[in-house]
Amino acid sequence: MGLINGLMTTIKHVLQEKATFQYPEVERPVRERYKGRHALKRYDNGMEKCIGCALCAAACPADAIWVEAAENTDDERYSPGERYAKTYEINMLRCIFCGYCEDACPTEAIVLEHEYKLSFTDRRDSIYTKDMLIDPVPPGGQDTPHQVEPHSYDRPIPDMENPK
Amino acid sequence: MVTIYIDGVGYEVPAGTNLVDVAKFYADNDIPVFCYHPKMAPVGMCRMCLVEMGSVEKDKESGTVLLDEQGSPKIRWMPKMQTACTQTVYDGLAIRTNTQQVTEAREDIVEFLLTSHPLDCPICDKGGECPLQNLTMRHGPGVSVFYFEDKMHLAKHVPLGELIYLDRERCIQCARCIRFSDELAGDDVLAFHERGRALQIVTVSDPPFDSKFSGNTTDICPVGALTTADFRFGARPWELKEVPSIDPYGPEGANISLSTRLDRDSGGGIIIKRVMPRQNEHVNEIWISDKTRFGHHHTRHIDRLVTPLHREKNTLIETTWDKAFKQIIDKLKGATSVGAIAGPGLSNEDLWELRQLVLAVGGSEKSLGIWPATMSGGEVVKQVGIAKGSNFNTMGKGTVIVLVATDLEEEAPIWWLRAKAARDRGATVVVLNGRPTKMDRYAKFSLRHEYGDAVGAINSLTAHIVNGNHHKADRAEGFAELQKALKKVKADDRYAAAAEAIAGADNVVVFCGAEGVTLAQHAELMQACANVLILTGHVGRTNNGLIPVWPGANTQGAIDLGYTAEATAELLQNPPAVLIVAGCNPVGEDIAAANLRNADFVIVTSQFDTATTAIADVVLPQQSFAEREGTFTSGERRVQRFYAAQGVIGESFPDWKIFAQVRHAIDKSTAKVSAGAVMAEITKSVAAYSAMGYKNLAQVERQFPDVGGTDQYYGGTAYQNTGGIGVQWPVSAENAEAKLNVVPVSSEKSKAKGLLVVPTTLLYDRGMLFVRSEIMSLRIPPAHANFSPADAQKLKLQDGDMVEINLEGASLTVQIIVNETIPAGVITLPKCLSDQPGPFAPMVAGSIEKVAQALAATGD
Ligand code: SF4
Ligand code: SF4
Ligand code: SF4
Ligand code: FES
Repeated sequence: MGLINGLMTTIKHVLQEKATFQYPEVERPVRERYKGRHALKRYDNGMEKCIGCALCAAACPADAIWVEAAENTDDERYSPGERYAKTYEINMLRCIFCGYCEDACPTEAIVLEHEYKLSFTDRRDSIYTKDMLIDPVPPGGQDTPHQVEPHSYDRPIPDMENPK
Repeated sequence: MVTIYIDGVGYEVPAGTNLVDVAKFYADNDIPVFCYHPKMAPVGMCRMCLVEMGSVEKDKESGTVLLDEQGSPKIRWMPKMQTACTQTVYDGLAIRTNTQQVTEAREDIVEFLLTSHPLDCPICDKGGECPLQNLTMRHGPGVSVFYFEDKMHLAKHVPLGELIYLDRERCIQCARCIRFSDELAGDDVLAFHERGRALQIVTVSDPPFDSKFSGNTTDICPVGALTTADFRFGARPWELKEVPSIDPYGPEGANISLSTRLDRDSGGGIIIKRVMPRQNEHVNEIWISDKTRFGHHHTRHIDRLVTPLHREKNTLIETTWDKAFKQIIDKLKGATSVGAIAGPGLSNEDLWELRQLVLAVGGSEKSLGIWPATMSGGEVVKQVGIAKGSNFNTMGKGTVIVLVATDLEEEAPIWWLRAKAARDRGATVVVLNGRPTKMDRYAKFSLRHEYGDAVGAINSLTAHIVNGNHHKADRAEGFAELQKALKKVKADDRYAAAAEAIAGADNVVVFCGAEGVTLAQHAELMQACANVLILTGHVGRTNNGLIPVWPGANTQGAIDLGYTAEATAELLQNPPAVLIVAGCNPVGEDIAAANLRNADFVIVTSQFDTATTAIADVVLPQQSFAEREGTFTSGERRVQRFYAAQGVIGESFPDWKIFAQVRHAIDKSTAKVSAGAVMAEITKSVAAYSAMGYKNLAQVERQFPDVGGTDQYYGGTAYQNTGGIGVQWPVSAENAEAKLNVVPVSSEKSKAKGLLVVPTTLLYDRGMLFVRSEIMSLRIPPAHANFSPADAQKLKLQDGDMVEINLEGASLTVQIIVNETIPAGVITLPKCLSDQPGPFAPMVAGSIEKVAQALAATGD
C-alpha cells in the first residue's frame, strides 16, 4: 500500500506542468521589479536623462560606478541643464544589484532592468561603458548630442511641483 | 581677556575679538553665518547669525557681577535678537543660542533663502561642501510654506570674465565676493546691480573681473554661485583626494591643496582637478593667486618630455636612461670644468643632490648658479631676514612696511595682499621705486627715484636717520665707517618724513626687489636696506626684518644651499666645459645667456622643449612639483613640504634622483632612495636646516580663525592644513648678542647715455611652465614695452606701434604702450612675454626702429 501511495505521488508530479526550464534554450520571464543590468534612460526626444551628478556612484555600496562629468552647451547638448556624464561606467563584477543607484538618481536616469545574462571571460570586460548601458534612441527621437535653441534646456531636473 | 557667557557657561576670551569667532573657537558653538567671513569686516546682511544677546548686570559701585538665586550671573536681555557677527566681545556679554526664538529665526532665514534657490545640488560644484546645504540640513525647517511656482528663474551661466562663472539663481547676495575684491584685493571689479529680487552681481571692470585674486571668491562664496572655468563639473568634492602642496611659482610659499582624481581622458591616471588654498595663517592664510590656482596645467601637458633625449648628428633623438646616464658620466668624469644653473622650481633635495654632484666632479660653490640670476644678498638675509615667528596677521598700527624696487602685486601677490591688509589695520606703507605700482595707492609715502639710483634712495633714508640722530648703533659693526661715508651722501629732503616714520616705528618690514637694479647694484641695495634696519633696531624681533622678493619659489632654498646669482653671471660669461641646467630656460629668457652655447657639453633637465634644451647634448625629463615629494623654502625662510599628488608622466624622474644616481656611479656614494633621506642628509650638513627633518615639517597646529574643518560652511572651501605648517630658520640678528654689519654702499649711478630699458616682472608671463595653462592665455599680455609720452613723441611712436629694440647685439620686437606712469628716459620691458629672449638687467637701448604702424593709426 505504501508503495502505491508513493508511486501515486510520482505519477501525479509526472503529469503536472514542469517547474524547471531548459535554460538557456528556454528563458524564464523575470518579475516586474527584478533588478538586473542597469540601463541609462533617455527622454522621448532622445536626450539623455543622466546629468552626470555621480550621486549613484556616491550611493553605491560596492563602489562599482564611475562617473566623469562635462559641460553641455546649446550646440552640443547631451542632457538638460549644464552637466552631463562624459564617462559612465559600471563594473558588473562589483555591482551587487542592490538598486541604491536607482534610488539616488535625481532624474530617474538609471534603472535596473531585466537583463541578467552577464558573463565575461576577462575581468576588464565586466566594465560596462556608457555606450553599452544607454538605451537605444526612441522612435522619433534623435541621438545625442543635440543642437538646441538657446535656453530651452536650462534646467537639469524637471521642475518640482507643489505637494498635491 | 574678558568673560562672556554663552548659553549660561562662562568663557575667558581675548577682548576685542568677534563674537562668532570666539564662540566657535572657545565654546565650540557654531553660530551659523552666511555673509560674515572671519577675514572681512562684518556687514550684517543675511541675518543668519541672530542670537539672543544681553549683558551681565553689575553692581554700579563695586563692579561685581550680580548673581541670581541659582548663583549664576544676572543678565539683562535685549528685547530683540541681535546679529552675532557684528558684535565684538566685551566683559559681561551674554548670548543664548539654543532657545526656541533663535531656532525659529534660523529656520525662517533658511526658508527665505530657499524660496528662490534652484536646489540643483546634484549638478552644483559646491554640492557636498556647500554652506547653504549644510546649514539647511542643520537649521532648515524641512518644509516650506512657499509655492514652488513662485521660484525665481534666472540666468545660470553668466561669465564674469573668462575664469569665473556666475549662477544668478544660486547667489544668496551675501556680498562676500564683492567685499573680498573690493576690501581685500583692492580691485573695484564686482558690484551689486539693481535691487530687491532683481539684485545681481555684475562685473564693472574691463576686462571683466580683472583681479589676480578672482579665484578666491569661489572659495568664500557660501553657495555654488561662483565657479571656476577651470574646474566646472570636474568632479564632486567627495570624490577628490586632497594632497598638500606648495605653490611652485612664487617666493611666498603659498600652501595649496591639490584636489586629485583618476581621469579617463588622461589614460586613467591620477591628475590634478583643481588647486585649492590650504590654510596657513603664517603664510597665505586662506588665499592664493590665480596664477597658483590655474597654473597647474603644465603638470600633465601633452608636450611634457617623456623620455631622455641625446644629440646625434645635430638633432635630439630619444634614448634610454641607461645610455643617457653613461654619456653624462663619461663627460663628467673627464670634465675640465663643471657648472650648474638651477631653476626656481627645484626643491631643496634637488638642489642638494645637484650640488653634491658638482662638488664630486671637481666643481666648487663658485660654479653653482641660480636662475633667474637677478638678485643677490643671501648673506644679508642670514643676518637681518625677517625674524622667525613674524606674521602679517599681527601687523597693524605701529608697523611700517617698506617696498623697495618691487612691483609686489606682480612679483609676490600673496605678500601684497597681506601687506595691504596690514595697511588697512593701520600699518604705514612706504614705496620706493622708479615708477608707481598698485601699492602706491595705499602708500603714505610714495617716493620716486631715478632707475639705477635705488641705492642712493636708501642711502638718503639712512643719512636722514643718522643725521637726525634717530639711530641706535649699539649692534652695528662698522658704524664709524658708515657714518663717514654718509657725510658724502646728499640726503634728499623728500625722504626725511619717511625716514622719521621708519625710525619711530615699532616694527619695520622691508621688501626688497630688483626692479631697475643690476645684479651688482642689488648686492648693495640689500646691504643698504640692512643698514636702515640695523640702525633703527628693526631686526631680530618678530615682525621686523628684510624680505627679499626672490624671483622663484625656492630661490631662498638655493641660496641656503650655496647657489648664487653671481655664480650664474660668471657661468654666462665663461661657460664651463660641462654645464648642467636644471629646470630652467636661460637661453630662451635672457639675452645674456646666449653665450651658454659655447659650453662643450650641456645637460638639461626639463619638463618641456625650450630654447635651452635646443642647445643641450643630453635632455633628461624632469618631474613637475605635482609628481614628487620635496621641500621649498619661502622668502620668509619657511621650509615647507609638498607631497606627491599625481601619476608620473612618461619616464620622468625627480632631479634629486637623477643627480644622486649619476653621483653614485662616479664616486660610489650611496644613492638616496627618497626625498626624505636627502633632507635627512641636509639636516646634518647645513646648520640652518638642522630642524628641517620631514617629521618636523609635517607638524600642524590649530589655527584661528577656524576655516575648512569638517564643517566647511564657516570660512569657505579653503582646506585644513594637514601637510604641515613648515619651520622657519632663525637669522643671526635674533641672537641679541650678535653684532650686525653695516657697510657703506656706493650710490653712484651709471653714466651711460640713452634710453634705459628696465626689465619688469609680470605675474602672468610666458614662462615655460605657466604658459602651458591655456586657460590663462587671455590674461598674458602680448610682448610689449612701456614708453613715456615724452619719449614716444620724440621717437614719433604711437600707442600700439610695433618696434624693434636693439640691445647689446640682440634685438626684440615688441608692441609699445604709451604710459604716463613711466618716467621719461625709461622703457619698461616686462620679462618673458616674447619668444625671443629679452634683457634681465637694466641696460641702455641701442637703436629703436618702428617696424609696424599701430592698427588704429592705419585705420582708413
Ligand atoms: S545616473 Fe542618475 S545619479 Fe547617476 S550620474 Fe546620472 S543622473 Fe546622477
Ligand atoms: S549652492 Fe548649495 S544648496 Fe545651492 S544648489 Fe549648490 S549645493 Fe545646492
Ligand atoms: S556670488 Fe556668492 S559670494 Fe557673491 S554675493 Fe552671491 S552668494 Fe555671495
Ligand atoms: S548677518 Fe551675521 S552672518 Fe550674515
